[in-house]
Amino acid sequence: MEDSVSNTVLIIAFSMLLAALVLAFARLLKGPSINDRIAAMDLIAAVVMGFVLVYSVMINKSIYFDIPVIISLISFIGTVAVSTYLKHRYG
Amino acid sequence: MDKIIISTLMLAGAFFILVAAIGIVRFKDLYSRLHASTKAPSFGIFLIVLGVSLFFNMPIVYLKGFFIIVFVYLTAPLAAHSIVKSFNDKEKDTNSFLQKKEPKS
Amino acid sequence: MKLLKKIYFTLEFIVFYLVKLVEANFYIAWDILTPKMHTKPAFMEIPVTLKSDLGLLLFSNLLSMTPGTMSMDISPDKKTVLVHVLYYSTDDIMLKDFNRIQDKIKRVTG
Repeated sequence: MEDSVSNTVLIIAFSMLLAALVLAFARLLKGPSINDRIAAMDLIAAVVMGFVLVYSVMINKSIYFDIPVIISLISFIGTVAVSTYLKHRYG
Repeated sequence: MDKIIISTLMLAGAFFILVAAIGIVRFKDLYSRLHASTKAPSFGIFLIVLGVSLFFNMPIVYLKGFFIIVFVYLTAPLAAHSIVKSFNDKEKDTNSFLQKKEPKS
Repeated sequence: MKLLKKIYFTLEFIVFYLVKLVEANFYIAWDILTPKMHTKPAFMEIPVTLKSDLGLLLFSNLLSMTPGTMSMDISPDKKTVLVHVLYYSTDDIMLKDFNRIQDKIKRVTG
């Protein structure tokens, strides 16, 4: 563990991200409109990207860096797809 | 010295994502919530990607990190825009969008 | 000479964008973490004089990233942008700020 980041930093970062995930999930459960839920899902995608990045530092494998590229594209397409569906349904 | 910079960047990124989550719970209406959930997570991802690519220090990782940052910064305003468009079309009968001055709150 | 000037303006614009980005995030973090909210939300229609599509993309993207403003919609003839403002003061001050950003973008895209 000569070369790595100290374990305390990783645990603090993980706990911050976990708190963010819980708060976003609360908004996802009780959002008054569907659009609040879509915004919360967008935020959850960002939180998951942060989790994967911090985890790749923890186990010291750079191959995990591919996953956030995919998540950033997929979450955008999902958001636009659900919004377009809502627009056509209510419009 | 390197480790201090990397740790600071990662903690700051996680902190900004946490700020976005608190904001999405605390704000009162959808538009203010979108303010919180557009700006802060993009900046948090930016900081975390910067820290992690400094940690691995390989050319391919820098390239992938650049792609992540460009995708996130191009798509976050578009996602907010599409959410707002679908929100307003639902109540189009009450007030036309481009004439409305005061927010409905 | 013209190319050199354009490169200079582009670099200046990138620095300006990054400064605004960091400033916006600290504004919103301070606003969220203090118990009393200082927000005064309002909608504004601002006229744009930019012609090119790249300029409009840069302008709306920068508006979404600057402190307290977010671009929402554009009129079909590309003359007006609807903006949601989080810290509203008066029309004149905000319009002067928006026009300064538009001048910067106009110098980059030509």
